[in-house]
Amino acid sequence: MMSNSLELPSYLEQSSAVSARFEKLQNRPVKLKVEDLTKKFDTPKGDILALNNINFQIHRREFVSVIGPSGCGKTTLIRILAGLDFPTSGNVFLEGRRMEGPGAERGMVFQDYTLFPWLSVKKNVMFGLEIKGLGKLNAEAEAMEWLEIVGLAKFADAYPEQLSGGMKQRVAIARSLANRPEILFLDEPFGALDAQTRSSMQAYLLKIWQNVDVTVFFVTHDLDEAIYLSDRIIVLRANPGEIDELIEVPVPRPRSSGQFLTPEFLATKKRLEELIRPPELEQNEVIPMIRLTEVGDEVE
Amino acid sequence: MSEKKFRKRNYWFNIRKELAPGCGTILTVCSFSIPLLVWVTVSYVPFIWHPDIKLEISADREGVTTVFTAGDRVSKEFFPTFLKGVREENNLVLSARKENNPLSVTRRENIKRLRHLAPLGIANGWLESDEQQNDKKLFELWKGLAEGTLISTEIILNKENLEIIKDNWNVLTKASPDFNLKLYPTEALLKLLPQGVPSNPVYLPAPHEVLSAGWSDFNTVPENGMPTMWERYRHSLTIIFWGFAYSCMLGIPLAILCGSFDFFSKLHEPFIDFFRYMPAPTFSVLFVAFLGTSDAPKIMLVFIGTFFQLVLVIANTTRLLENSLIEAAQTLGANRRQLLTRIILPGILPNLYNDLRILLGWAWTWLVIAELIGEKTGLTGFIDTQGTRYNFDRVFPVIILIGLTGFFTDRLLHWLRHLFFPWTEEARQAPKGLLTRFLLSLNDRNTCFWHTK
Ligand SMILES: Nc1ncnc2c1ncn2[C@@H]1O[C@H](COP(=O)(O)OP(=O)(O)O)[C@@H](O)[C@H]1O
Ligand SMILES: [Mg+2]
Repeated sequence: MMSNSLELPSYLEQSSAVSARFEKLQNRPVKLKVEDLTKKFDTPKGDILALNNINFQIHRREFVSVIGPSGCGKTTLIRILAGLDFPTSGNVFLEGRRMEGPGAERGMVFQDYTLFPWLSVKKNVMFGLEIKGLGKLNAEAEAMEWLEIVGLAKFADAYPEQLSGGMKQRVAIARSLANRPEILFLDEPFGALDAQTRSSMQAYLLKIWQNVDVTVFFVTHDLDEAIYLSDRIIVLRANPGEIDELIEVPVPRPRSSGQFLTPEFLATKKRLEELIRPPELEQNEVIPMIRLTEVGDEVE
Repeated sequence: MSEKKFRKRNYWFNIRKELAPGCGTILTVCSFSIPLLVWVTVSYVPFIWHPDIKLEISADREGVTTVFTAGDRVSKEFFPTFLKGVREENNLVLSARKENNPLSVTRRENIKRLRHLAPLGIANGWLESDEQQNDKKLFELWKGLAEGTLISTEIILNKENLEIIKDNWNVLTKASPDFNLKLYPTEALLKLLPQGVPSNPVYLPAPHEVLSAGWSDFNTVPENGMPTMWERYRHSLTIIFWGFAYSCMLGIPLAILCGSFDFFSKLHEPFIDFFRYMPAPTFSVLFVAFLGTSDAPKIMLVFIGTFFQLVLVIANTTRLLENSLIEAAQTLGANRRQLLTRIILPGILPNLYNDLRILLGWAWTWLVIAELIGEKTGLTGFIDTQGTRYNFDRVFPVIILIGLTGFFTDRLLHWLRHLFFPWTEEARQAPKGLLTRFLLSLNDRNTCFWHTK
């Protein structure tokens, strides 16, 4: 990991360009407001307080990530925001309107693609448009436009099964965005992809987000991914799932993968690592080890 | 080289590894030909089983009430006793003759003894099958065989019987050289000794018997106004079609509702679950009582037999549809109706299709029971009639026909999947060429397919 001898600035330090950008963001209208959200699961083994006292708001065209250890309630949170689950208490407001149940104005991209296997790629993207009442021809034209944007126009007539994971996820993103949602939720969308595909997908997502009027709420457990993509990062703590800290990422935009080693980036990463360090290492647990090799050399 | 050897060693038996297509085809061919081969072997190789003797020539014994006629089977253990009994009777006749005090019997009795030659005449084509009591022709037969102008090729007469024939002919001609029933002797004639060939029990007819019985049954029109086999076949198909169609029409919508809404699931499934354990055939009396003896109670039975299973199976299939597909559609703005028609229905369709295929197989079982209630009809009616008459050679063709029909409909439906569901992995990998595809589908035991992810 990073040695402490390396002099890093504080992650709280922002260059003037970055702080100006945050000021502008603050002045934009609030897109999503979450108020005193809690979620309790009644299980046979007792109640699980999956989310407790969650409060935050997201401004228009902001890119916000949620990060936290596995099981801290990220999925629970994003599902409640998308309307797929109900909170035990608290409210979710979209542009001031209280939200209940899922709707087309809140798009969602799942980790396991969830493309409709019986529809071609194009028909998948047309699905939401047709439901909205757009005519077949219009829907088709618009779907093709979106496929063009995600670079899959030539796979329009293929079935999802024929695509690779990354391509499937691009179709899923196109399908959600074609619907012109006000906010797009993504739950670890790149979690199942290999490293190369994942980084190209991140670049894709950034590019699309820059060119589309959409607010993004992004769940991940990958620190680099969160820093690289987001304006702000919500760090969740487990048991109960509470907001640990809300970090303003000091890395200036436009972002590129070259920024992974800049001091701002590293400083933010270091802070995130401190916050979500796996508990096992904290306890300095010693794993009993017996040497079973009989090679006999002393090389460690 | 060594690599090749390694592969060879574990060629046929690998746990959950598919065999090479060639090997698979060989085994598929074997899976049909081995049972056939067993049947053929048991039927035609005498020393394997053949516990019975099928009588070609029979005789009545004095003071024994059980009468065996040619074509009957007696056990190998019993046959010598039978033979010995007849031989002893003949010995009595012979010894009485030697003492110049020949036994005399009624002329009727002698005519009866002469008629025992009839099956042999029929087997050789000298007699028509309705001429068993044509004594004039029989007289000619006795003459021919005794004088050696006729040689029986279908049934090889043993020496003893040839002697008996000559002996009887002597007695006959002594009484009258030409055919004249009134001049038939009253001196006791000898009885033909029973003769037979080893055979399997009546319930295991040989392949050629089954084939010829089937061929004649399916190509003749019964005289007594009964339906032909093809009419019976069509009748059976009609009943299974309607029974299953009603089952689908009512069952599928209900099942999808149960699988989609907990409300319907809780409301209907417990009762259905209970009801399906009540044996449907026992309701047949009820059906006949209020639906009459026409086809209606039969269709009803096929319906009842499949409906409850169908609802439960398809409701479960519906529940197995990935929830995330439904949620994805919801976040795209689909309402409840759209979820049902645009997600759930197309989503479960391939598996629903498979379920129906399997349920159709069950429908055939119910058909067999259905055809026996009320008025016995269709193929099963025929099986029932012929079975009680021990005509198993006529029963088997029908059983095989039912089997083949079920099997080929199932395989056909299986094979059609790739046309109906082009999006599935299986459809894309389907080999080109109709025949190849069909042959391969014989091998394919997959009933569940398409896994997202
Ligand atoms: N349907 C549920 N019933 C009971 N407990 C649940 C359910 N869903 C999630 N949980 C619990 O809530 C916690 C948060 O889960 P989740 O949101 O999936 O975590 P994450 O996505 O951050 O890994 C976990 O402890 C999990 O066991
Ligand atoms: Mg999760």
